[in-house]
Amino acid sequence: MAVLRRAFPWLCLAALLPVCNGVWADEASKERAGVILREVDDLWRGESSHAVISMMIKTRHYTRKMKMEGWSKGKDSSLVVILTPLREKGTASLKSGSSVYSYLPRTDRTVRLTAGMMMSSWMGSHFTNDDLVKESRLSDDYEADITFEGKREGVDVIEFTLTPKPDAAVVWGEIVYLVRSDHLPLRALYFDEDMKLIRTMTFSKPEIMDDRLFPTVLRVTPQDKPDEFTELVYEKIKFNIGLDDAFFSIARLKRR
Amino acid sequence: MLFTMTWRNLSRRKRRTLISAFTVAGGVFFSVAFTATGDYAYTNMINTSATMGFGHVTVEPEGYNLSPTLQKRIGGANAIREKALKIEGVTDAIVRITGQAMFASAAKSVGGVFIAVDPSQESPENNIYLRSMVEGSMLDKTDGRQVVVGWKMAKKMNLRVGKKLVYTTTDINGEIVSEVGRISGIFKTGVDAVDGSIALIPIDKMRSILHYGPDEATLVSVFIDDQRFAGQMRDVIASSLAMKGVDILTWSQTQADMAGIIAIDRRMNYLSQFLVGLVIAAGILNTMFMSVLERKREFGIMMAVGMTPGRLFRLVLLESFWLGLLGVIMGALITIPAYIYMSNIGIDLSSLVEDGADVGGVLIDPIMKYRLYKQSVAAILSGVFTLTILAGLYPAFKAGRVAPVENLKIV
Amino acid sequence: MKILPFALRGLSRNTTRSIVTTGAMAFAGTIMIFYLSLLEGFTETFERNTVGMNTGNIQIHAKGYRDDPDLYNRIQNAGQIIKKLEAMGFAASPRLYGYGLAASGKASSGINLRGMNLEKEPTVTQLYKHILKGAWLDKADKHGVVIGGKLARTLGVGVGDELIIISQAADGSMANDLYIARGILKSVGEIIDRAGFFMTDDAFREVMVMPQGAHEIAVSTRNMRIELKTAVKMVSQTAQGYETLSWRKLLPVVARLIDNAKAGTIITLLIIYSAIGMVVLNAMLMSVFERIREFGVMKAIGVSPLQIIAVVFAEALLQASIASVIAFTAGLALSLHFQTYGIDLSTWTGSAVESSIGGVALDPVWYTHVTFDTVTMPLEFLLLIVGIAVIYPGVKAAVIQPVKAIHHQ
Repeated sequence: MAVLRRAFPWLCLAALLPVCNGVWADEASKERAGVILREVDDLWRGESSHAVISMMIKTRHYTRKMKMEGWSKGKDSSLVVILTPLREKGTASLKSGSSVYSYLPRTDRTVRLTAGMMMSSWMGSHFTNDDLVKESRLSDDYEADITFEGKREGVDVIEFTLTPKPDAAVVWGEIVYLVRSDHLPLRALYFDEDMKLIRTMTFSKPEIMDDRLFPTVLRVTPQDKPDEFTELVYEKIKFNIGLDDAFFSIARLKRR
Repeated sequence: MLFTMTWRNLSRRKRRTLISAFTVAGGVFFSVAFTATGDYAYTNMINTSATMGFGHVTVEPEGYNLSPTLQKRIGGANAIREKALKIEGVTDAIVRITGQAMFASAAKSVGGVFIAVDPSQESPENNIYLRSMVEGSMLDKTDGRQVVVGWKMAKKMNLRVGKKLVYTTTDINGEIVSEVGRISGIFKTGVDAVDGSIALIPIDKMRSILHYGPDEATLVSVFIDDQRFAGQMRDVIASSLAMKGVDILTWSQTQADMAGIIAIDRRMNYLSQFLVGLVIAAGILNTMFMSVLERKREFGIMMAVGMTPGRLFRLVLLESFWLGLLGVIMGALITIPAYIYMSNIGIDLSSLVEDGADVGGVLIDPIMKYRLYKQSVAAILSGVFTLTILAGLYPAFKAGRVAPVENLKIV
Repeated sequence: MKILPFALRGLSRNTTRSIVTTGAMAFAGTIMIFYLSLLEGFTETFERNTVGMNTGNIQIHAKGYRDDPDLYNRIQNAGQIIKKLEAMGFAASPRLYGYGLAASGKASSGINLRGMNLEKEPTVTQLYKHILKGAWLDKADKHGVVIGGKLARTLGVGVGDELIIISQAADGSMANDLYIARGILKSVGEIIDRAGFFMTDDAFREVMVMPQGAHEIAVSTRNMRIELKTAVKMVSQTAQGYETLSWRKLLPVVARLIDNAKAGTIITLLIIYSAIGMVVLNAMLMSVFERIREFGVMKAIGVSPLQIIAVVFAEALLQASIASVIAFTAGLALSLHFQTYGIDLSTWTGSAVESSIGGVALDPVWYTHVTFDTVTMPLEFLLLIVGIAVIYPGVKAAVIQPVKAIHHQ
């Protein structure tokens, strides 16, 4: 669900922003970018979703393929349940506020993740549990600025640079988002404070899902291990399905 | 008269007297050497480990030592500090919050321990990390975003002074909380485990993250001027504070590892000294005994002309008294130059100790020096002296038991 | 000339003195035997607790494993290596290690997962005997685990209670399973007490999805009478491409402690024997000077200086020999007694009963350990010191000028 989250603001952006040309004035562009982000966040609140996703993870040590079903509501709640492989079927990950819980069917136990486990990988992928929690509270954590508008490799693009606010508890130095002129996300680059590229997220295969244009494939690649990646493919997604908060509870976790 | 007689007896056999006195002197010398080198090393280790976080005496929440969690805290920490500072013998008291956290940068994340401090209370004397700063500077605010870390941690996470660090821990309600900080300084203690896992954070910042009350803390570290009195100071502090729900512990309880090693070393030390003492006593006994046996005839005559066994007993005992005194004085004479050298310069054993060798997290000082406490000197001198007297008891007793007539028969 | 009768006669001139001197020597000898046995007992117990309980004499790891313990950095052909080592006379056992979280109903804690080979492990370490409550692992009970004492306390579990563990398996999936605490260990060392979580190697392979490889091979030299350095070489050659280290390199704090203890022994030995040397010197000097007339007469009638020295030496060594016999008996008896009963030092110092050094638990009860060396070394030294001490008196006696001596009164 983390990824869906990350993609979604851009999606909403695409729905909202009028197509525009030319470069905006600096101050104005910052303000506009900020306003848009905030609007996106506001839009997010109350939005819910239900998706079926397949995830492929390739690392030096293993290659995994999984199919998952996920629900989300607003920024704070998400639930992901594994459908295949059979061995892991029923394993679930619940995010509620800033807590993450794991339900493990083999032992029929729910465990709340400790501070020490936050940095470990989520389901063996290149995302961490912390990524899941830290969510794209983009307008909360980052200042946005439009840094480029024009053609790149024959495609009309807009480039956003997100700089973390001084109080934001995020490790990145900078995130650079590249979207199509129609606001379809293309790529996100994560840099450390020395402007060294640490990881890349690419969005591809846009399709109409439910009521909007949506990049159905999302791939994360760590820069220091270019042969590795985690790829999410959205097979189905529905929005605004009217989920209540009680849906995202531990009791529910078990019953999945 | 006894006095002159003793001296006469002793000086009759100058060489023997000197040799015996010399063994006593040797005893003093070695006893001082063993005790003083031990005390120097232990005091050093104890004082250094006190600066690693807990002080000599620690006021902490009840049950914290057995199972430390951030949910346990003490209230009115600053009031405790004020009270402690007023007590005689206390040189310093510091309020701190400490707990486990994950530290993360864009490159890597590392598990470790944070110590949240008030920079106005911290100084190089009571804080080893401050003392070992190699780059940058200490925190200057109680609620800023500065963080001080060990060089190994900075290296693992690919960070430098000025770069940011995100730390994640668990607050009072069990919720996971994160905060961002910037590295303002880097320390290097020389112990890898420490340099790779400890971070200093401003205390009020930590209080707000953990949702602690404004005067709550994990502990108050109290420093005293003489680590030997940690036990007594603990009691004084406990009665002065008269609080419930707190444990007041000494360094031997909070740094059990190091305390264990010191205890073992001390035991071996005392055992060795005890054995050496025994043997020296045996030597003295030997000498006195032989001296008594040689003078059987003399004693026989003395008794024949009216000397009582009691006085003979005292005579011989006095001899061993003087022997002991002579030995102790000689001992002091040979020990003093050694003491002056060893307490100021010492012997450098760095070739024998590997880099970064530590004992319970405290770096081992490769220089062997003396530290002689007044009480130890008194103990050694009186101990040696007593031993000599004790050794003289049996021969003295034997002296009085001599039957005059039998002895006069000896030609 | 018959040296021995002369020596005996010399000694019997002043039997009391001879007895007292011999007594002093015997006393020192006894004490030294006891002291050496005590120290030997201490270092041996300590070594046993570290080496014999968990570490083994030598360990093999994949390169870089110790600095950065990674589930994937394994010894691939562990089985082969072990076979070869066993053929050479070593005992070797493969270990599987992982990190995870253990949770009981009441609490959770980070743990060190350890997969043990139940046939090989007892040949290398004594851990399987070190159970406080319950029992050690059993091949048939795949879900039975043994945990460290402090871990049991933190989690609030006793024998028979349930535990789950969570970790990341080798294939990236979330490793988790339910286990029952079969046994709780006595104190071994800091890490094992706090985080040791032992299971059978089959159980480990299953939950961590790691069908092959081992993270560590612990090797014991058993009864092989070889030096540690030689053993390390032999093992290293067998385990080409991997890192082989002796316990001394793996546990430098323990190694240093034991070395210091041994060095301390030598120093104390020397000190004590110097004292004895003084006593002997004194006694022999007195004995020689008293018989100066006698020696003068002997020289006058043709006894050579060398023979005189021989007599003096014989006197001293006779006493030393008798003292040795006494010291041997008394020292041995004393040491053997404490080998069975031990000295409880916790009453002396009153310090922490559960203390540890360098991560290894310390026993407050010290046992002596009598070995060939602890008994013979003090006696050898005794004879040596006495021999040295008696040189001066001997020479003094030998260079006496007969006429002067006879006039001496």
